[in-house]
Amino acid sequence: MQSKLSGWSKAYLIIVFIILYAPILFLVMYSFSKGNTMSNFHGFTFDHYQTLFHDPRLIQIVLDTLIVALLSSLFATIIGTAGALGVYETRHRAIRQTVLSLNNILMVSPDVIIGASFLIFFTMLGLRLGFISVLLSHIAFSIPIVVLLVLPKLNEMNASMIDAAADLGANPWQTLTRVILPAIMPGIFSGFLMAVTYSLDDFAVTFFVTGNGFSTLSVEIYSRARQGVDLEINALSALWFLVSLLLIAGYYFLEQYNQGRKTKNRQQVEAVIK
Amino acid sequence: MAKTIIEFKDIVKRYGETEVLKGINFQIEQGKFYTLLGPSGCGKTTILRIIAGFTDASEGDVMFDGKRINNVPANKRKVNTVFQDYALFPHMNVFDNVAFPLTLRKVSKKDIRTRVLDALKMVQLSGYEDREINEISGGQQQRVAIARAIVNEPDVLLLDEPLSALDMKLRKEMQYELRALQQRLGITFIFVTHDQEEALAMSDEIFVMNAGQVLQTGSPVDIYDEPINHFVADFIGESNIVRGHMVADYLVSFAGHEFKCVDAGMRPNEPVEVVIRPEDLDITTVAKGSLTMTVDTQLFRGVFFEITGHDDTGNSWRIRSIHRTEVGAQVGVFFDPEDIHVMRFNESEEDFDARLETYEGEESDR
Amino acid sequence: MKQGKLFYYIPYGLWIALFVIAPVVLIVYQSFFNIAGHFTLSNYATYFHSGVYLKMTFNSVWYAFLITAITLLISYPTAYLLNQLKHKQLWLLLIILPTWINLLLKTYAFIGLLSRSGSVDSFLTFIGIGPKQLLFTDASFLFVATYIEIPFMILPIYNAIAELSPSYVNASRDLGASGWQTFSRVIFPLTLDGVKSGVQSVFIPSLSLFMITRLIGGNRVITLGTAIEQHFLVTQNWGMGSTIGVILIVAMVITMLLTGERKKKGRTRHAK
Repeated sequence: MQSKLSGWSKAYLIIVFIILYAPILFLVMYSFSKGNTMSNFHGFTFDHYQTLFHDPRLIQIVLDTLIVALLSSLFATIIGTAGALGVYETRHRAIRQTVLSLNNILMVSPDVIIGASFLIFFTMLGLRLGFISVLLSHIAFSIPIVVLLVLPKLNEMNASMIDAAADLGANPWQTLTRVILPAIMPGIFSGFLMAVTYSLDDFAVTFFVTGNGFSTLSVEIYSRARQGVDLEINALSALWFLVSLLLIAGYYFLEQYNQGRKTKNRQQVEAVIK
Repeated sequence: MAKTIIEFKDIVKRYGETEVLKGINFQIEQGKFYTLLGPSGCGKTTILRIIAGFTDASEGDVMFDGKRINNVPANKRKVNTVFQDYALFPHMNVFDNVAFPLTLRKVSKKDIRTRVLDALKMVQLSGYEDREINEISGGQQQRVAIARAIVNEPDVLLLDEPLSALDMKLRKEMQYELRALQQRLGITFIFVTHDQEEALAMSDEIFVMNAGQVLQTGSPVDIYDEPINHFVADFIGESNIVRGHMVADYLVSFAGHEFKCVDAGMRPNEPVEVVIRPEDLDITTVAKGSLTMTVDTQLFRGVFFEITGHDDTGNSWRIRSIHRTEVGAQVGVFFDPEDIHVMRFNESEEDFDARLETYEGEESDR
Repeated sequence: MKQGKLFYYIPYGLWIALFVIAPVVLIVYQSFFNIAGHFTLSNYATYFHSGVYLKMTFNSVWYAFLITAITLLISYPTAYLLNQLKHKQLWLLLIILPTWINLLLKTYAFIGLLSRSGSVDSFLTFIGIGPKQLLFTDASFLFVATYIEIPFMILPIYNAIAELSPSYVNASRDLGASGWQTFSRVIFPLTLDGVKSGVQSVFIPSLSLFMITRLIGGNRVITLGTAIEQHFLVTQNWGMGSTIGVILIVAMVITMLLTGERKKKGRTRHAK
């Protein structure tokens, strides 16, 4: 394909990118402003970062958010990987399809529904709303994406490797730990990273299932934003943006690495066939 | 006679409604090179998978060393496989791949090292142990796969079309090497292929398969010279197959003439098929020919000319000749009685063997 | 290997049972109870008889439709042009990047941008249009919702276009089709799956937005999502909330059937 775009096309793309990034840059910019509102830049300062670091409540919430994100992703990755392995070994087409459809229900359901139904569920169980209910919810809605990211890696995996492992004397556990898991590790890793982002990104589900006393960042920002603008939040946004960037960079390089390996393998297979 | 190591007794394999193996019986002796030969989908890979333990037989017994092994899992069988796509573990280097089966059982580091290096030496890959799998060529991967399969010292090595991904030249080389390796190791090889040349070149014994059945078992020479039916004749090498009938023992009629032949034991006037290999036919003058043929096409193939034509009764003939002729010319086609092989319709392998016994014995008596 | 399968299904099956099937069953179950905890059909009766709920549903669908339409209009050309760029993977990543930033933060940015004496307002004053009420309007709600959804529309369309073999385009041109004919007769039909997938990814979440309606729309726009949140967390009428939830689920299923397509790709869940 030609990569020459007309002036109009370029302008169009540039505008789209400006619109996409303006709010974020705007947020970051005002985190350095001396004023108290997001209008008229008043000069450079780190004041808001200072306030942020001296706000124990906010720091606690950041830590809670990270703990929920990491713990829920860890559990979701384990359960999701097991699920993907289960689906992979299910040869019966109808069962496989049903399981996958059930898996995808939480992927397509609006968060409000997930939040509301989990709230009913936890209340019926008599579970006190708080850290545990939020953690369980985050595990629950992160599992399907892990399954969806691990399953293709399993399908891509050369199935005769499993036969080969058994043929060479490996028992099922050895086959799993020494052959299958290493082969799908990139998928498991992407699944974990995706689960982390899902968890960090979630607002609605948490909003429903968190009681008083426990809060994640999204919920906290929501309640603060309803009271108006607070540049401390901007400082937090800027830091958050930085963390997101790092996460994405990590994810991107992982993908590139996988892609690289895949194309390398493919070229090699092609070379063999020729 | 060598000892029987593997035996199939009435093995049937079904996937849902479809029967992919329809009652397979055979015995595999220790130390020989066997080939399962047949077109794709004939069930040959299924047989291999049943021996290896990846697939269960629906019916019948799989015997190994006199014991029924139907319920022994793959990881407990003294059989190893070289896979069509090699199935090397991409996250391990050459050494780790070959060492894999040894590390599963408590073998000491030192022993592992010696045995891996020995296995690599056996496949002429010494010095490659630190390479990554994706750094070596297809042919080298093939060797690693073989080394990995023999490092465990199996009684039987199964090879599932291992050469199909290699280019022509490498393939020929590997044929020699595999044959030599089998003789050096002295273990049974069961080799699956759809390439008849490969089968003829390497095997002690060939099982020709089609549609879930073993059609004919025998040495390469037997199968080439005395195919049991149309399918085998056509599948193994190129053949001229024409219809005719047996006039009497050692006399067959086809293409409007009667010819002497070396086959017997059939009913008088029984309809038969006659096989003559293209390389057994010679172009000569009309007067000297056994048959007269009009040349339709001629292709130069390097070592020979490939000539096709038809006789007066409409049979077409394919001839490999070192002499050229002209398209449209009338030529004589010459063959000897020994070049003719007569096949009966629907003859089973047992009947075929029994019939051969009767007159071959008779022949030597005379 | 049979045991292995069972072993894998224990945690995963438990998850499906507890967090997929049970919640859906519960929300349907709950919808048949009134605020006093008695079994009743009155929630559905209320929904279908009071004009308020029907109007709200219609409104919600209408806004979701507008958001989807605007998003599609902006996204298709963007996805198409992105595919013409060198390093298109990198540019695509830049499109996806904003979705990785917490939605609340982006919404928060818009509060700053659109608020009275905010930057946009100042700009409008500067060019002489004068200060305007920007926040808490239908337009601001539409704008922010569209902004949020754009990447989710671009991604599937981009993938569909990227998978399109250039030889189809060449063949079409070779056979004498003009640029527009090539687009309308070859490119667009072949990328329709991507469009459907994008519509699905945007329409369903748009039906249930509630955070943006509150923070940006200033409660002027009431969507199904807002109503559910209201019933569950404010008025504590879970029965009615669940009823609307069931309606939302039905709407979701209808949308999925209409845009019926098999494979889903490149969609990350979002929309709070």
